Amino acid sequence: MGLRGPLVRRAALSAPPGPFRPGFWRSPLRGPWLTTAIGVVLLAGVAVVAVTGFLSHAAYEPSLPGNAIVPAARDLPLTFDWPSGPAWLYGLTQGLHTNVGLATIPLLLAKLWSVIPRLFAWPPVASAAQGIERLAIALLVGSALFEFATGVANMQNWYPFGFNFVVAHYYGAVVFVSALAIHLVVKLPLMRRAWRDRGGLAPLRQSLADTRPEPPEAGGLAPVAPAAPTITRRGVLGLAFAGSGALLLANAGQTIGGPLRSVALLAPRREDFPVNKTAGAARIDIAATRPETWRLDLGGRSLTRDELLALDLRTEALPIACVEGWTTTQTWEGVRLRDLARLAGVPGAREVTVRSLQERGVLRRSTLSRDAIEDDRSLLALRVNGADLSLDHGYPARIIVPGLPGVHNTKWVAKLEFRA
Amino acid sequence: MSFARRYGASPVHLLAHLLVLPLAAWAVLQVLDFRGARDVVVWFVAALVLHDLVLLPAYSALDRVWQRARVRGIPIVNHLRVPAFASAVTFLVFFPLILGKSDGNLRYVSGVQPSGYLGRWLLLVAAAWALSALVLAVRLVRADELQDAGAPHPDRAA
Repeated sequence: MGLRGPLVRRAALSAPPGPFRPGFWRSPLRGPWLTTAIGVVLLAGVAVVAVTGFLSHAAYEPSLPGNAIVPAARDLPLTFDWPSGPAWLYGLTQGLHTNVGLATIPLLLAKLWSVIPRLFAWPPVASAAQGIERLAIALLVGSALFEFATGVANMQNWYPFGFNFVVAHYYGAVVFVSALAIHLVVKLPLMRRAWRDRGGLAPLRQSLADTRPEPPEAGGLAPVAPAAPTITRRGVLGLAFAGSGALLLANAGQTIGGPLRSVALLAPRREDFPVNKTAGAARIDIAATRPETWRLDLGGRSLTRDELLALDLRTEALPIACVEGWTTTQTWEGVRLRDLARLAGVPGAREVTVRSLQERGVLRRSTLSRDAIEDDRSLLALRVNGADLSLDHGYPARIIVPGLPGVHNTKWVAKLEFRA
Repeated sequence: MSFARRYGASPVHLLAHLLVLPLAAWAVLQVLDFRGARDVVVWFVAALVLHDLVLLPAYSALDRVWQRARVRGIPIVNHLRVPAFASAVTFLVFFPLILGKSDGNLRYVSGVQPSGYLGRWLLLVAAAWALSALVLAVRLVRADELQDAGAPHPDRAA
């Protein structure tokens, strides 16, 4: 952008050597059309990732007591009551977030490749407009790389940083979406022009012999001294998609499950029934889980595990869907939360705060909404797949509810506080 | 002097920045008020520098080296680019697991020792290169058949 008057043109001539000189960038494929084509596909990808990311934020129901990880007073007022069904809801939204996110990485790399000459524009700031736009672009590219890098690190439980992942990933997303909105407003006219001038999808049908450079333009994307093409524009997109395919193949099985799980060669969680956090990692006092000591505290009254087992037990096949993108569906057996609300003397409770034997960590407690309590499938599970829960899966009792983030299925439950 | 001349772009350009940049600035101020703020800045800047000034120049230089690669007159650069990109991007994304950087943490939280990631990544890499070589082999055989039939191969003519 910006006006390239005589002054600017003279400055370009006196640019330092190397990438600051327009002749340095020789790819015959770069130009507004290619950037537009990659940009449109990238936009579709990041739109899915951003929407499902903010949906995940809402699915944690941060407005309920104790659920917020980003403090409510410092959050955007964008949350809503997350529904308790369908059961696969969070598995779907978060599966899309992580897998579409992975598939989008090669497109981001391709997009950045296509616009790299702009980084070395000379003079660096030719007008006020260019100055403010470069600031917004720095935020856009920096936040995009930051979001992908932190998300990918979190998937793999790799934390070589001192910040809280959830907090930084959330605010990073706000920066990214803001900067992207500006970028779209600014670039939409250029995108439309590039599309019209080159006949829409026509460049995708060109063979290598027909692949011609785009004419040099004010934006400085198209080369002034192009080399001979070695790949078609279709090929560039295909190359990016090949990368997306490899990443999906390597990971998507941990979300989809079944036989695909073993095909997911690089997925962080390849087990059929992964444990998010072991009893050891949660520092659960094993003595407190023994049948002779453990009681479920319902407020006014408490129940032993045997007393719970004597209640009306229900069996439900429900998924656990982790924010990191893995899901697993198991067959759970336990007491309906609705029935426990009645036993606690709070039939039709508005919400319930679940407290774990776990003494430290943000997830030692969570609050569930009326929707979750009233759902027929919501259980305080005692058994899974026909056997008692193992200690790592939450023995003596854990919550299992449909449609919510995995960590809200609190393990090692000690207390249920139903409120009317 | 018109506004566009003095500012360098249309009023919509200025308005978009003035309206939305404050939201981004708000988010930046929020995140810098939590623990590890220094690391947020480091990661943000390092991501930009590593991509723009290290990764992109490195793969561009590599690409320039093999652009002219030919086998029996047929350019093969794209048979190198596709498997190289698939190998590189899977490593770029999954290197913490491949290099065992999060092994300790994963074993601690999940109770399962992560294993075999390096081996399985190498399998994936091998499969990508083998597939590419197979496609190239088919092309070479076809080119020979065309030549035997007396027609110049289009790639060679180019």
